[in-house]
Amino acid sequence: MTQQFLRDDDLMPFVEGLMNRYPVIAPVAKRTRFVFEKLIAADDLRLDYDTTVLPPKKVFFPSRQDLIHFDQQGFSACIEPQAQVLMGVHPHDIKGIAMSDRFYSDRHFDNNYMAYRQVTYIIGSSVQQHYKYAFFGSINADKPLSGHDLFMTKIDGGYVIEVVSDKGAELLACGSFSEASPAQIAEAEAVNAAAMENCPQKLNGGSAEIREKVRAAYESPLWDEMSEDCFSCGSCNIVCPTCYCFDVQDEWNVDGASGCRFRLWDACLTSEFSEVTGPGGTENFRDKRAERYRHRYMRKAAYLNDQLGGPACTGCGRCSGACTADIANPVNVINKVLEQ
Amino acid sequence: MAKLKCAWFDFACCEGCQVELTNYGEPFVQLLEHLEPVEFREVMSEKTTGPIDVAFIEGSFTREADRRRLEEIRARAKVVVAYGSCATSGGINALKNHMDDYAGEVYGADKDRPHLNSAKALPVSAAIKVDYEVRGCPMDRDELLRIVQQVVHGTAKVYVPSYPVCVECKRRETVCRYDDGEYCLGPIARAGCGAPCPADGIPCEACRGLAEQPNQEAMVKVLVDNGKLPQQRAENLSRMFTANFRGDA
Amino acid sequence: MSCKNSKEKTDPGIFMPKAAEVVNAQMVTPTEKHFTLRLNNGDMFDYQPGQIIEAGRFGFGEIPLGLSSSPVNAKTFDIVVRNIGKVSQALCELNTGDTMTVRGPFGNGFPVDELKGKDILIIAGGIGLCPVRSMIQYILQHRGEFGRFTLFFGARTPQDLLFEEDLEQWRASTDVHYFETVDRPDKAWQGNVGVITTLFPQAAGIGPDTHVIICGPPVMYKFVIAELDKLKVPRGHVFVDLERRMKCGVGKCGHCQINDKYVCLDGPVFRFSDIENLEEAI
Repeated sequence: MTQQFLRDDDLMPFVEGLMNRYPVIAPVAKRTRFVFEKLIAADDLRLDYDTTVLPPKKVFFPSRQDLIHFDQQGFSACIEPQAQVLMGVHPHDIKGIAMSDRFYSDRHFDNNYMAYRQVTYIIGSSVQQHYKYAFFGSINADKPLSGHDLFMTKIDGGYVIEVVSDKGAELLACGSFSEASPAQIAEAEAVNAAAMENCPQKLNGGSAEIREKVRAAYESPLWDEMSEDCFSCGSCNIVCPTCYCFDVQDEWNVDGASGCRFRLWDACLTSEFSEVTGPGGTENFRDKRAERYRHRYMRKAAYLNDQLGGPACTGCGRCSGACTADIANPVNVINKVLEQ
Repeated sequence: MAKLKCAWFDFACCEGCQVELTNYGEPFVQLLEHLEPVEFREVMSEKTTGPIDVAFIEGSFTREADRRRLEEIRARAKVVVAYGSCATSGGINALKNHMDDYAGEVYGADKDRPHLNSAKALPVSAAIKVDYEVRGCPMDRDELLRIVQQVVHGTAKVYVPSYPVCVECKRRETVCRYDDGEYCLGPIARAGCGAPCPADGIPCEACRGLAEQPNQEAMVKVLVDNGKLPQQRAENLSRMFTANFRGDA
Repeated sequence: MSCKNSKEKTDPGIFMPKAAEVVNAQMVTPTEKHFTLRLNNGDMFDYQPGQIIEAGRFGFGEIPLGLSSSPVNAKTFDIVVRNIGKVSQALCELNTGDTMTVRGPFGNGFPVDELKGKDILIIAGGIGLCPVRSMIQYILQHRGEFGRFTLFFGARTPQDLLFEEDLEQWRASTDVHYFETVDRPDKAWQGNVGVITTLFPQAAGIGPDTHVIICGPPVMYKFVIAELDKLKVPRGHVFVDLERRMKCGVGKCGHCQINDKYVCLDGPVFRFSDIENLEEAI
C-alpha cells in the first residue's frame, strides 16, 4: 500500500486528530520508565521510548478482566469493545501481538481477548532508543510484521508512514500527509534495518537450533544452577508479551447478591501455579523452582516454537530488566544452552 | 436474612486496623446493611456480653490474662476473624520475643511498672481456634470485606495468594523500586494486598509475612548489591513481620 | 481481521456457562456427592466417555470434573464432587432443584472406537472411579461390542467405596469380572485387603492383547504400570486419565500444562506411551 510522509510539525495535530475520534493508547513516561497509557494530552506521547514496563497486550486483556457478571436473576457476558487506537508499538511488540492473537484464537476462539483486539487500530513505530536488554535483532528477525494498520518510521524532518491496511488508511483522515519520496522511503528502510542491527544484546543461534538444543537440555544441571537466585516471583512472566496464562476467580459485590467472575494474569514461575488439591492435601507438579524456571524456557524456546515456527519470544528484553535477581535474561540462558 | 451481629476486639496492637476499617467509607457503610456492630471501641461506646455472629480480633496475644478474654470471646462467637499482622503472626510485637531486655530498651526507667509486664507476643491462634485470618499491617480492608462476604454466604474457605508481591506490582505496572535505585522486600513478601506501598514509593516490608518458598539468600544478595544496604541490615530487614516464623530468629 | 466482523458482537466468550438443574443429589461417601444434572434449556448434552466439564457456582468459582455417566442417556449427565476446596464445598451445598453452571465438554475422552472388540481392563483407585464410570457404563450398555471385561476398584476404606448400587450390580454381573480391595478394612469387611496391585494375581486373561484404562491417585500409576509390564501389556494399549487444576478448559490458562501438553486439550485421557517420558505427567 502507500507510503506517506508526516512532517515533525504535523505529528501533534495528527495525534490530536486521532484523540478527537478515539481513545489513543501510547507510550508515556512514568518515573524512570515508560508505560502504554491512554493519552490525556497529545504531547505526553513519547515515541522516543526504549520499552514499556508491560507489553501492549494489556490493551486487549488487562491484567484483570471481567468475564461474567452475575446476580440473583442470572448472568451475562461483559464483552464491550469500543474502537481505540494503540499507537507507538515497536516492531517486535507487533510480532508479540501477532503471537498472542494466535494463542487466543487457535482451537478455541477467546472473544474476551479477540473482541478488543479486533476493534483496535495499531500504529507501529520505529525504535528510536534501544532498551539495554533488547535482542530483537537476533530472534524471529526474519518474521514479517503483520496485524498492524500503520507503521511510522522516524527519519530526518518527520515520519514515513507505511499504510498497511484499509483500517490504517481510514486513520489518514486525522492528519495531513504528503506522499513519501523514494529517498525518504529508502531512509526509513535503513533506519529500521539499523535498529535491528544495533541491538545491544544478541542470541547466538537460529530458531531451529534453539528449539533442538533447549529441548535436549531438559535434564541438564544448568537449570538448577541458573535458578539458584530465582524468587519464583513471576515478574518475568507478567512483563512478557508472549505469556498468556491466567487465573480465574469469583468475587461478590458488597450487596452480597451480585458479583463478577474475572481473570487475572498468572505466572508459572510462582509455586502455587502448578498446585492441585487432592485428598491428601495440596500436590505440586512443579514443586522445585528449577523445574518452574526450566518450564518457562522449554515453553518459549521449544514447545511453542513447534506451534509458531519460531521461539515464543520477541527479544524485547523486558524479562531481563524485570528480574531483580538478574537471572532471567534469555540471551544469557539460551546462549549458555547453545554452547553445550 | 437477619443482620450478623459483629463485634471488634483489640489486644496488643495500635488499633490501626480498626481505624483502617472506619476509613473505608462507602463499602463499609454498604456492609452495614448486612451486619450490625455491637461492640467497636473506635466508633461506639456500647459493650456486649451476649452471643455474637462474627468476632473480629485485632492485636497479638501476649499476656496469660488475655487467654481468658480470648476464650470468652470464642465461646460466644460463631465465627472468629483474626485481622492484622499482630493478630495473625504476632506482628511487630514479636520482635521482643527474641530480645533479652526489650522492656529496658523500650521503656527505660519505667520498665518494671506492672502493666508493662508481658510474655511472648503470639498470634491469636495460639490461644483459640481462628476461622479466618486477614494478614497485613494494616490489614487489607478489601480482603476483610471479601471474607465477610464469604461468611455471609456461609463458606469456609477463601482464596488468598501465596506468591510474592512482585506479581501484583507488575500487574499494576508499578515501576520497580530497584529500577528507581531503591530497595524493597517484594520478591519474598506475600502478596494479597494489591501492592499499594511500592506504587506510592514506599518499600514493601513484608507485612503479610513471607511468600511460599521465599528465597532469603537471594534477597540478601539483591538488597546488598542493588538496594545498597549494609550486609547486616539486609539480613535483618525481613524479620520485622516474620519474627515468629523463622528458623534463624 | 476486521472490526466489521460480527463474531465479536455475538460471541459471549469461552467463559459463558450453561445453567444446569440438579435433578438428583446424594452424598455417596462422607466427602463425595453425586449429582445428576440436566441443562435448563432442555438441550441434549453431547459428550464422550472420559471428557471433562467445568462445573461452577457463581460467587465461588469453577472446577474441572470428569463426567461419570455414559453419554447414552445424554438428557442427563452425572458428576461426583469431592468436598475438599472452596468451590467443591460450595457445589456440595447444592441439592435437588438447585442450579449449577457447566461449561464443556472439553478434551479427549477414551478412544471408544479403538477399544471396541478388545479385551478391556479398567483400574480405578478411589475417586478415580468417577470418570471411568462413564466408560464402564458404556461398555455394559454395548456389551457385545467389547471382549473380555475386567474391572479393578480399590479404595482406602469400605466407607470410601463409591456408587454402592453399581458395585452391587457389578459383583453379581457376569458381564464384568469385577475385583475390589480396600487398604484398611473395618470389622464388617470380608473382601480383599491390600493395595490395588494385589488384585492382579486373582484376575485371569490379562496379557499382550488387553487394553487398559487407569485412573486414580498419582502414586498408584507407577505400581500398576509395573504389573502391566510384567504381564506384557504394551504401553501403547494403556490409557491414563490425568487430573489438573484447569481454569479455562480450552487450552489458554496454562494451569494444566504437562511439558508441552495441555490436559484440557490433549487429555485428560492420554495413551501412556505418549506421556511416559514427560517428567511432569505422573
